Amino acid sequence: MTRANLALLIVLACLAALPLVGGAYALRLGTMASMYAILALSWNVVGGLAGYPSFATAAFFGFGAYATGVLLNAGAPLMLSILVSLVASLVLAGLLGAVLLRLRGHYFAIASLSLVGVLRELVNNATDLTGGGMGLNIPLASGSSIMADALFFFYGMWALLLATALMVIAVSASKLGFGLVCIRQNETAANMIGLNATLYKSIAFGLSACFVSAAGGLYAAWVHYIDPSDVFDILYSVKPIVMTLMGGLGSPLGAVCGAFLYLGLEEVVWRNYIQIHSGVLGVLIVALLLLLPHGLISLRFRNFWRKAKHV
Amino acid sequence: MLAAQIIINALVLGCLYACIAIGFSLVWGVLNVINLIHGSIIVLGAYLAWGVYQSMAISPWYVLPVAVPVFFVFGYLLQRLLLNRVLHAPVLVTLTLTFGLDLILNNAMIYFFKADYRKLTLKPPMGSVSLFHVVVPVDRLIATALALALTGLLYLLLRRSRVGRAIVAVRLDRDAAILMGVDVQSIYAIAFGIGAALAGCAGVLMALIFPISALTSTSYLDKAFVVCVLGGLGSVSGALAGGLLLALVEGIGSAAIGPAYATTLSFALLIVFLLFRPQGLLGRKGFE
Amino acid sequence: MLVSKLIRCSVVLGTAVMAIASWSASGSQARAEDVIRFGAPLPLTGPLAPEGIKQQQGYDLWAEQANKAGGISVGGKKYKVEIVYADYQSNTPRAVQTTEQMITQDNINFLFGAFGSGAAKAASTVSEKYKVPTIAAAASSSQVYDQGYKYLFGTFTPNDTLTTPLTQIIKAKAPEVKKVAILARNDLFPLAIAQEMEKSAKANGLEVVYFEKYAIGTLDHSATLSQIKSLDPQWIFVTGYINDLLLVRKQMVDQELKAPVVTMIAGPAYQDFIESAGQTADNITSASWWHPAERYEGKDIFGTTENFVKLFHDKYKSDPDYGQASAAVCGALFQIAIERAGSLDRDKVRDELAKLDVVTFWGPVKFGPNGQINSLEPPVFQIQGSKPVVLFPQAIKQGELKLGVN
Repeated sequence: MTRANLALLIVLACLAALPLVGGAYALRLGTMASMYAILALSWNVVGGLAGYPSFATAAFFGFGAYATGVLLNAGAPLMLSILVSLVASLVLAGLLGAVLLRLRGHYFAIASLSLVGVLRELVNNATDLTGGGMGLNIPLASGSSIMADALFFFYGMWALLLATALMVIAVSASKLGFGLVCIRQNETAANMIGLNATLYKSIAFGLSACFVSAAGGLYAAWVHYIDPSDVFDILYSVKPIVMTLMGGLGSPLGAVCGAFLYLGLEEVVWRNYIQIHSGVLGVLIVALLLLLPHGLISLRFRNFWRKAKHV
Repeated sequence: MLAAQIIINALVLGCLYACIAIGFSLVWGVLNVINLIHGSIIVLGAYLAWGVYQSMAISPWYVLPVAVPVFFVFGYLLQRLLLNRVLHAPVLVTLTLTFGLDLILNNAMIYFFKADYRKLTLKPPMGSVSLFHVVVPVDRLIATALALALTGLLYLLLRRSRVGRAIVAVRLDRDAAILMGVDVQSIYAIAFGIGAALAGCAGVLMALIFPISALTSTSYLDKAFVVCVLGGLGSVSGALAGGLLLALVEGIGSAAIGPAYATTLSFALLIVFLLFRPQGLLGRKGFE
Repeated sequence: MLVSKLIRCSVVLGTAVMAIASWSASGSQARAEDVIRFGAPLPLTGPLAPEGIKQQQGYDLWAEQANKAGGISVGGKKYKVEIVYADYQSNTPRAVQTTEQMITQDNINFLFGAFGSGAAKAASTVSEKYKVPTIAAAASSSQVYDQGYKYLFGTFTPNDTLTTPLTQIIKAKAPEVKKVAILARNDLFPLAIAQEMEKSAKANGLEVVYFEKYAIGTLDHSATLSQIKSLDPQWIFVTGYINDLLLVRKQMVDQELKAPVVTMIAGPAYQDFIESAGQTADNITSASWWHPAERYEGKDIFGTTENFVKLFHDKYKSDPDYGQASAAVCGALFQIAIERAGSLDRDKVRDELAKLDVVTFWGPVKFGPNGQINSLEPPVFQIQGSKPVVLFPQAIKQGELKLGVN
């Protein structure tokens, strides 16, 4: 296990101690932070390791949210619903990946972007199942006190984050991870030496989607009401990318740190600049991309670790 | 005749879609940059036309000659100062950068103009013409004619002028163009400037037809995307073909399976094209 | 080289400092003693921004009037009104987060509900948990109030109270209307009310020849309208937000789609719609929960409806529509409840709200057992000569239904 991955696990352990220092609102922020971290870490698998700029995160987030929501409405217990969403998205993304990942660069980016649109419209039109444009009301998963509720969802999201982190660490240490890096560097060459690029890419896409879906499912249970434009929001695709870029492409620790930093920024900006917060966020994005193209990681660890290779 | 009406509507709309997409297509084809600010520039052009009409009662078509230089300069500077620095960065970085820039522009517009929808209604209104039971509104016809004129002008520019030929050269083969002595940096900025000017002009024309608000910028951007993929990048004829195809699919789909599904259909079509014919109807293969 | 390194370091340090600041800082400063704080989470940016701003206008007008009169009287002592705003960016989950933040961090006493049925319902879970009385100014779907919550109230009656009187008037005054075409925006309120319309039409023996939804952000309705034209309905019912309705109306004129009755919800209630649509708005019917032409003698701080309209006009230079009026009446209702309770105790105020039975400039206010108002008679009106004319209820009727929309 590399130093960075160890540091990542330590960060997660620290996060678990949040309830000791904060109240319900802090836990809410912590839950959001964990969720963002899951999205960023998952994206890193297909975007950072494999080098395919995927904008499909929102598609799977929404898919998970709706799948879980519909199952909860049908009376299934929460854990089971989330698990089903996870497995379903793993399979779906794997299959879609085999098809979509034949495209490269811009075309892949657009195809993944359109996936968000297609799923959103499909959900919008399946009014009987999903409520369509009117949204879906989700029954309360637990009816107890505020703190108990907050703790439940915080630890739930944290557990998913831990699972995602372990998955990412396992992947980067495995043959799959190595294969993905080869694919990123030169896919044709990788194919020539016998690497089954299609299989690897599909698995990567599937892995990048399953925890995102689970997070979406838990999220739906947390907020009790979802509608297509809320969960299939393009920002859920763009934010993980910005977070990963901020933290350092290809590095799991970077993705998580980027996610936490981004959330912090978002909170500050949102609270203090009501009228112009999205503009301020835009400025931050531009500044970061122009001044810090390799992310935070390149700054701190420059001395003892090579810069994370960018695509 | 319902079918004829739907087809004629679609053809008119298709030319408008082509007008929306042409600037986007040029920038994507030449600079290989997906310009996410495109939709917001269109809205800015629409606000310009609306503002001029409100204060000076001058019709939008007279605003066009003013819009061209204004937006050209805007685009040129934007490219030269900001986008140039990430031109050879991965797809990801350029996309995210233009996304950030779009957030800024969009927010600025909402801040200054407020989010409510304006409508530019000509007084007196222009009415419609009717031919063999097919009704077409005059303002759309004029906007379509002007849109076609703009695309025609662009076509001439690209084929006949020196700058235009340099742009085409860069699009075809950047390295060869450098070898031929083309100042590629300058061409990039000019191409982006032209793209912005086209977006601004499209906005001026759209002001007549659609409600104006910064909130519509995503709708324009989505259309531009789909038209480019369907029709092929970087070429005028591609934008026209893509626009017409999209409008026809939407119109016929709307009538056949309902307007709600028409949007899904256009996305699905987009994906099908991306998978099986990524270069679009009239594009050139091998474009990444 | 060094400069660029310096820039990078400062950017990172700067953002790190801000991040730390965000965790420790909370929204409010030390508060002045005699102030009642009302939390108002609103969509000030994003697609619902125009609606959010209208609500803000309503709240501000009320706060201004209340403070002009010295404040709200709580057991003999006067307390000033302060409204705390936060923007949830038209995003429902953020509305929930904002609500919680306002309760736990910003120390508000009472809440105004988030805008729209979806956000109001989602956020109400939080306010119910913390037992904070909340009045929702813009939530009409009865599903918002079906969770058995005790602390949630709403000033909009359910959607069918808009469609039923409308259908009955049309049936009575325009018996030749047999076929209805319904076009709805695929969004919470517009779709819900379109479904109510469908039920109402069928219940009254009308044939629904067309019922379709259009996606949010649709730029062109020409194919849909051509289809409707080919079906030749006598009543066209369209729902959406003001921009959608302006677009549909314009394209109807473009395509020369005419009908004896055209109803649009919710654009025609707004002055902007009438101004932008100009002559094409003539004879369009609509319904809403309130109209400036109403004449109620209210016991609230605004008094008569006329007075409210006048005060609004003085401050904002335009006439109020139901959105702004609803927001203002929420404030006025809180004021009445607090004064009657004689304290800021949330449970006492909540009980006062529950037993309210008072006439206000908004109309008679009485909340049903689920918290939603059930005492209103929503007006049906028609635009005649670029001015809205009330057709129902009888008490404030200003004119007769005119047929024929070109």
